[in-house]
Formats: sequence, structure tokens, C-alpha cells
Amino acid sequence: MRGIGAALTGMFTVLLLRSTLLAGLAARGIVFDVLALATVFWGLRGGAGWGASFGFVIGLCADLDAAHWLGRHALGLSLLGYLVGRLSGTLVRDSVSTQFLLLVLATAAHQAWSIAFELGGFLAWPEVLLRVVVGAIATGILGATVLAFTNRWKGPFAASGKAI
Amino acid sequence: MAGVLPPAERRSSALVALYAGLSFFLLMVGDRIPQASLRSIGSTLFSPLDRVVLAGDRLAAAWLENQELHTRLVRLELENARLRVQAEENRRLREQLDLPGFRDPSLKPVEVLALSGDRIPSAITLSAGGHGGVHEGDIVVTSEGLVGRVAEVYPFTSRASLLTDPNSAVACEVESTGVLGILRFTASPKPALGLTAVPFADTVVVGQRVLTSGLSRRYPRGIPVGRVSSIGKDPGGLVQTITIEPAARFTRLRHVFLIAGPGPEPRR
Repeated sequence: MRGIGAALTGMFTVLLLRSTLLAGLAARGIVFDVLALATVFWGLRGGAGWGASFGFVIGLCADLDAAHWLGRHALGLSLLGYLVGRLSGTLVRDSVSTQFLLLVLATAAHQAWSIAFELGGFLAWPEVLLRVVVGAIATGILGATVLAFTNRWKGPFAASGKAI
Repeated sequence: MAGVLPPAERRSSALVALYAGLSFFLLMVGDRIPQASLRSIGSTLFSPLDRVVLAGDRLAAAWLENQELHTRLVRLELENARLRVQAEENRRLREQLDLPGFRDPSLKPVEVLALSGDRIPSAITLSAGGHGGVHEGDIVVTSEGLVGRVAEVYPFTSRASLLTDPNSAVACEVESTGVLGILRFTASPKPALGLTAVPFADTVVVGQRVLTSGLSRRYPRGIPVGRVSSIGKDPGGLVQTITIEPAARFTRLRHVFLIAGPGPEPRR
């Protein structure tokens, strides 16, 4: 029950930040992909089931907000959460460099997937590449910093999480 | 495969398969599912917190904006005095020619609570809704120019589609030339607003202002939309590819004004 409460609070915070403070930054070209960041966080912390569930629900909320292509974020993020959750058993979850790499790859995958729906063809690949790279690096740095603080404050990931 | 996995992993695999299936289903039929009521609930839940989160940002922006507005006010007062004389002269001339007079639109100020869209905002949540006299189809403008139109109205908030919405189309004209076109947003190859359907024979110059033409009935005539920033030739050679730099700054929307529109679109 506590896990669900924490997940809902996390979702609420992420969606709130995404539509207010981070929307202005995103429009200026600096995309912090907080959807991917939160899904990776939940996948690492709770495992594959939690990661997939968190990714699906938060993705669905983002899809409803965007009003186009319902299911786009939900599919990408649920798969992302599942994969990160599965990987979390084999990776050194508390290593900052592992988390950074995981966040960069996860953000790049999510950004590339969601941008593919907005573009009409392959002509825009330089724009897409720039957006994916900037988003992945920005989110990787922000996410690794947030995760490092969270680990210090709440203890390492190994101590928490319960599979569903 | 499932048999060799531990129970917890089997459960999570089944769960992700269910989510993937649901997502695919939504991708296929999502557009036919009514979503406005769900967005209304989300908007009602988030709007008080949006205001709290944005309070600091708004305060700092208001302080900076105040200095800029003082200078602008003085400049506009001087311009207004000159225009009043010209308006009076114009009114008398229109009377002599039996032409109808212009009607000043009434502006309703509202706050922008949230932006939607992954990078380029395509919709905004406004602080006034049905109880505040907002109607579907109302036109959203800033002091710089056109922003979009109200697409969904909830009791206390509303949602407006911006010019950058992929489904938006605005009938426009190039100022003082009468050249007509349709303003659309294209995400590829680069996100940009473009004036489409302008014949190659029409003369358009970089820097000219683009205004609403009033031909679509959604927007009244004469609202500034932007300026021509580049002109190219369509591969077909029949029409021009005109890129427009928008007048309103979509990245800095804090307050906007509503003008009463023609009403909601007839449902098909």
C-alpha cells in the first residue's frame, strides 16, 4: 500500500513538473525527460513489475495530456520500466556511472520512440539526433545526481522494493 | 520460456505483455475514445498546484516585465495619440463611403497554468473555464499576436490548442498585399510554422507581416500571426514554401487574452 502511495505521489510530482517548470526549458531546447527518469528510478527500485506498471500509468497520463497518439508513451515507458527492472538484478544498481549510462540509454530510447510519431519522414534526422542526444545527456546528468542524493538519503536500492 | 522463469518474473512478464497489448489497442483506437472528461479531471486536480509551482517564476518574470512595460507604455501613449487623430479621420471617410465601422474586440485576461507538448508546446491549460465565461472556440491572443483557440472547456479551467498543434490550420493573408494562404505547423524536417497554398505567382517578401484573413470564420480578420522569415519553392513548382516566425512567443506564455470566438465546431 505504501508502495502504491509513493508511486502515485511520484507520478503526480513528475507530471506537475513536466507541465510547468520543465515545459519552459523543453521549449528552449533542453529536454529533461522526467518520464523516462522516473520510470528508470522505479524499475531500479522496485523491479520489473513495478517498473512496467509505473511506466504504463505515467505514460498513459502523459498521452492524455498530449491529446495525440494515445498509448505512445504508455507502450514505450512500460517496456522501458520492465527492461530496467529486469536489468536491475544483474547490474550494480548503486553505482553512479551505471545509473548515468542506464538513464542516457533509456532517455535516448524513449525520446527516439516518441519523436518518431511527430515526424513525417527521415529528412529530419539531424534535428531528431540533436534532440535525442541533448535530452539523453541532460536527463542522465540530472537523474544520476538525483539518484545519488536519494541513495544517500534513503539508503541503497538493494534495501527497498518488493516485486509485484 | 515462462516455465523456466521464477514466479515473480513470470508475473512481471505477463504484466508487461498486458500493458503492451493495451497500449497497442489504444494506439489503434485511442482517437475514437472520448478523452475530454479525463483531461477535465486532470486539469481540476493539477490547477491549484500549477499555480503554487509557478508562483516564484511568475514573480521574477513580472518584476522584469514591469520595467519593460513602463517604457512600452510611454511609447504606445504617444503612438495612440497619433492614431486617435487618424481613426477619427478614417471614421469620417468611411461614413462618406457608406462602409461599416470596425468593432473593437473585448479582451478577457487569463493565466497560463500549464503547457502540453514534448518540446514545442501544442496546448495550454488556462486558469478560467466555463464558470468564468470561457467558451469553446474563443480566440487566444497575447499583446504580440495570435496564440490559438480554446478547444475544451472545463468548469474552472480550459484547454487551448496552439498554432503549433499538428491539427491547427489558420486562414491568413500577407499584410497589404492580399496574398492568401493557410498557416500550418510542420514538425519535419524542422519544427516550423509555414504558410501553405500560396501560388508561385504571388509576390511575398521576407519581413512582411502575416495576419488572419477572416476567411476561415474561426478567427476574425486582422490579428497578427507573425512575419515571413524565409521563402522557398515547393518541389512541385506550383506553390511557395513560406516559413513564418510567430509573433507570439510560445515559450514564454504566462498571461494571454481571450476574444469571443464564433463558438464550437459543429460535430460530425
